[in-house]
Amino acid sequence: MKRLATFAALMAIVTATATACGGAAATDAGAEVDVYTTIDGTKQINASAPINPFNPVGSVFTGYNGMALAWARNHPTDPNRFYPALARSWTQSPDGAQVDIHLQPEARWSDGKPVTSEDVRVSIGLAYTQGGTAYALDPKAAGAAADVRVLDAKTIRVTQGANRSAAFLANLLSTVVVPAHVYGALLPRGFWDTLKVAQHDRGPAGERAKAVITGLADKVIAFSPEQDVSAGPFVLERVNPGAALLRRNPYFYNSRAIGPDKVKVLNYTGNEQIWNYLISGQLDNAPFTSVPAAVMERIRGARGSQVITGYSPVATSLAFNQSHKPYDNVHVRRALAYLIDREQVTRIAAPEGGTPAATTSGIHAKAARAWLGDGFAELEPYRLDPAKAAAELRAAGMKLRDGRWTMPDGSPWKVEIHVPASFSDWVSAAKSISSGLGDHGIDATVLTAADYSLYLSELAKGEYDLGFWLIGLGPSPYNIFQRLFGQANGWQMFGGRLTHVPPGTGGNWMGGPRTVEVAGEGLVDPGELTSRLNYVSPGEQRRIVGVLARIANEQLPAVQLWDYVNTQFVNTSRYTGFPPDDSEMLRLSSGVWMQLGMIRKRQP
Amino acid sequence: MTVTALPGAAGRSRRATLRRNFWRGVWRVLRRKPSRMAGVAICALFAVMGVAGPLLYPAHLPRDDDALYAPPSLSHPFGTDFEGTDVLALVVTGSRYVLLTGLATAVITVALGTAVGLFAGFRRGWQDTLLMRLTDLNLAIPGLPLLLVLSTVWKFESPLEMGLVLGLLGWGGIARAVRSQTLSLRERGFIEAARGLGLPTTHIIGRELLPSMAPYIAMNMLIAVTGAVYAQVGLFFLGVLPFEANNWGVMLNLAVFSGGALTTPAALPYLLAPLLAILLLTLGIVLVVDAMDEIFNPRLREE
Amino acid sequence: MTRATANRAGALARRVAGHVARGLVMIWLVATISFVIIREIPGDPVLAMYESMLQKGMSPDQAERATAVLYGFLPKGSLWEQYTGYMGSLLHFDLGRSLSTPGVEVTSLIGSAASWTVLPVLAGTLLSFLLGVTMGVYAAVRRSGRLGDLLALSGSLLHGVPVYVIGLLLTAIFATLWPILPSGGPVDVEFTPGLNAGYLGSLVRHAVLPVVTYTLASYGGWILAMKSNVVTVLGDDFILAAELRGLRRGIVFRYLARNAILPLFTILALSIGMLFGGSIFIEEIFNYPGLGLLLVNSISSRDYALMGGTFLVITIGIVVANIVADLLYSVIDPRVRSGGTA
Repeated sequence: MKRLATFAALMAIVTATATACGGAAATDAGAEVDVYTTIDGTKQINASAPINPFNPVGSVFTGYNGMALAWARNHPTDPNRFYPALARSWTQSPDGAQVDIHLQPEARWSDGKPVTSEDVRVSIGLAYTQGGTAYALDPKAAGAAADVRVLDAKTIRVTQGANRSAAFLANLLSTVVVPAHVYGALLPRGFWDTLKVAQHDRGPAGERAKAVITGLADKVIAFSPEQDVSAGPFVLERVNPGAALLRRNPYFYNSRAIGPDKVKVLNYTGNEQIWNYLISGQLDNAPFTSVPAAVMERIRGARGSQVITGYSPVATSLAFNQSHKPYDNVHVRRALAYLIDREQVTRIAAPEGGTPAATTSGIHAKAARAWLGDGFAELEPYRLDPAKAAAELRAAGMKLRDGRWTMPDGSPWKVEIHVPASFSDWVSAAKSISSGLGDHGIDATVLTAADYSLYLSELAKGEYDLGFWLIGLGPSPYNIFQRLFGQANGWQMFGGRLTHVPPGTGGNWMGGPRTVEVAGEGLVDPGELTSRLNYVSPGEQRRIVGVLARIANEQLPAVQLWDYVNTQFVNTSRYTGFPPDDSEMLRLSSGVWMQLGMIRKRQP
Repeated sequence: MTVTALPGAAGRSRRATLRRNFWRGVWRVLRRKPSRMAGVAICALFAVMGVAGPLLYPAHLPRDDDALYAPPSLSHPFGTDFEGTDVLALVVTGSRYVLLTGLATAVITVALGTAVGLFAGFRRGWQDTLLMRLTDLNLAIPGLPLLLVLSTVWKFESPLEMGLVLGLLGWGGIARAVRSQTLSLRERGFIEAARGLGLPTTHIIGRELLPSMAPYIAMNMLIAVTGAVYAQVGLFFLGVLPFEANNWGVMLNLAVFSGGALTTPAALPYLLAPLLAILLLTLGIVLVVDAMDEIFNPRLREE
Repeated sequence: MTRATANRAGALARRVAGHVARGLVMIWLVATISFVIIREIPGDPVLAMYESMLQKGMSPDQAERATAVLYGFLPKGSLWEQYTGYMGSLLHFDLGRSLSTPGVEVTSLIGSAASWTVLPVLAGTLLSFLLGVTMGVYAAVRRSGRLGDLLALSGSLLHGVPVYVIGLLLTAIFATLWPILPSGGPVDVEFTPGLNAGYLGSLVRHAVLPVVTYTLASYGGWILAMKSNVVTVLGDDFILAAELRGLRRGIVFRYLARNAILPLFTILALSIGMLFGGSIFIEEIFNYPGLGLLLVNSISSRDYALMGGTFLVITIGIVVANIVADLLYSVIDPRVRSGGTA
């Protein structure tokens, strides 16, 4: 017994010391400097990854120690609106072919060297090794940058290839800029000549040159600078598996605007960790995560806690595989749309982060109103209506037996809704939909895939009848409709040419018809229309968006369930001056807010 | 006083007396501590729940669309879930899958483990070596990580599939223990005598060896049931197994990750109900094992 | 005398050599099995990364730029070619390069994760061992008393409560309701790593919850095992004789402890071997960057090389522990040496 007591006493001492140590240290650190604590929703913190923006998990945090030429505004319809970053301004020639970029005259790297046109040129060169729209090596690819010319130390001119795209400016301005004196050595001697060959030579020499450039990708991704050299407001001090610590960069061009001395970016493995941080008031800003209503109440109740909401150009839909029976029949799809109570589904699955879709248009409601004007109200709203649903089912030849709907030949019909198990909001939405269908005589079940990776590959192989699918990815209208009439539905872009592949091949799992009848338009190829959105005039864009929204509404390749709301959490007990509701800054990181003059230390 | 479960001797009447004595002993051990009776009652309750539970409710559980995460009340003793379904109904209807998996796992674990252990211990020689290497391999494979990987390859749609996999992963420990028991029993007089009499191997294994190991095997079976319940509920909790609204693990998962049960009390009943069910089942099994331990291991009894 | 010692040493050496050879075969077998299963996992990791980025609000162009290059990191060639390549590099202790942390060696990822796993799990194992053994003796000696009964029951129940339940409850209490301990991460990033009070203190504070969870989860097993061992030993003739002759309690206790605890050391060796697997649940709940979490993340991101590597390290831990346990057992219990198992 005596030993037991000794042991217990020992334990108590150990615990007490631990608590005391931690407490004291924390206050020490807190007294010296102003630390701004936040979470980067787009990135898992990975202490083993290099400090390199080309690495998808590299310790470079957008807006803090990662800088682009400019930051995209959160505008519902115009993808070409930007806030200046390393580029103070830019001018585009009237035909859109050529862009002159003027760099911030005061911009410097954290080692004191100025940011020059050469840095931008090297960054563009490195971007070519990674691929991507503006830096495709294929000269026929739409919107590829064909020529990069340094005009002077602070001005650079980029020209796009013959196959122009409306997205060129946006893609160019979001180029990440890295210091040439650190990354320059990654580009081998003669790189720019090789690039010319790769872009213009159609023969074997061109292929070889392409292979040389894409062969550099590995080296670029793995490149690990000893130290962070940043042109942003902060520079990385240290990173461990739980968090990254950044300190102020004194050479930042707008350093006076930056409030905090340090920024701490916390890692998270589950949403509930973010909830806990928010309730205990540890975070100054957190990006949107799905939050249950009761938790939201407690977060709102925390001292200084505030919720900012704005526009988020994403919507969730339940998409059909139209090559599977009976979903090839538009009446069945419409019937299901009439039986899904979107209000109830949203209340259950996304009470804080979503608004029930007003209708299915393929576009987030806010952008849809801007694009379609009065046309939006003319779309069929598909309100909950069992009578209309029954009529549609009868029109499809489905039979009602003993209160249960069956296939036209009398065989049982079971609606299988697929979701990835890891998204609890989608799982509860799917469960709610299946319960609702069950109430109206349709057997429905929810089937989960173990993870998102598995879900997407089975979906792409065409193994599911119905699955959850993100749509309406604005602001670019091409990106919006590409989700419904793009690769997932059989239309593929190959070297600037559009092709259509049959269902079940090449990732075509939606299996919709290649052409559809549209009143007043005749026979229309929706995929072809979508691809035209890339280069036509704004007026023509508006007309095409109208037609495609009508097709989405009438043909229902997917039922739009809810539109996401960008819900940001901030805490005003340490810092004030956060962007207001519906600000165009909302989808950018706190680091960008600071660059743009927001966020001040709270005066006691 | 001494209750022995060793049916070594022949003779019908002798066996019958033994059996009667045995049941009397069981009754005495159970009666001595009320907690043990409670254990048996709990296990019986779960058995009834697994068999009859799903019959008590309609195939589609009723929902109350306006009472999401309703607090506990008379009509909903454990509140409602995210879409307004009674939580108690979910726990009751979900017990069948959980218990069936547990049972299937236990049967497979014990059958395989005993068979391998008995055979290896009885035969010795190269067969023993081979089987023991196989057992080592089984023990060396990290179970949970493997299950995580398997869940992406295989959809565990029926409780039997789940039980099969859990059983196939878990027989190593029992095989090893049964083998060492067999080895030591082999050296005892009655087995040698039976062999000397030229009795067939099946008789020796079936009539002499197995009965003396029965208590050990039975206890392991019960323990395997709890192990299987944790393993599968844990996998559902991690969210890697197919969704089933009334599965206890899925309920835990949704309560924590979708309802925020650990952050706010609103979804707490939804979390507690399956948790209590697991704890109660554990408690029942622990108490029964405790009783069995004393019945079969007289040394444990107080002097 | 010397000759006998030499003989015994030679026998031991042969025994060790045999164990090591068998262990190597075992590791090869597990590596092969896990290789085949891992390559059979369906899923498109790059597509999943792309779609997750969309969901987190990245524009499709940004997401494409970030993921396109990853296709180059996927394994190529037939299964057999991949297998021989994998085995070849294993011989050079090369586990390949990661996909989820592209461009980084798997060995370095595993190395940094292992350091975060070993310390807390080791602390938890030892703590629960000490606690369980002490309580186990008490529960056995006082097994007729109420407290002894209660201890044994607490052991059974704690042994029964799944570890994730304990973890979740502790987080709910100490990180949310009464936030005195951090709920995630291994150490506060504000402190410079090194031997300074701030860093070490933060390290300990972050480790408290995982260690306590681990201790509570495995304490039940120890108390039960110890109790049953002590009870068995209590029935030994020695104890009976000692009681009759009125030997001092101290001597009795020493005999008791020695004979009851020794068998537990082999189990301890085994559980230390298991610790390389970390605890997937604990690390997931506390966001603790050890091997368990690494494995879970590698599965969801289909990082084949990392999955295989982590699996291998966990297996090696188990195999080595088995060998150590076996040798320990033969040292403790001389009867084993002659071949018969009692």
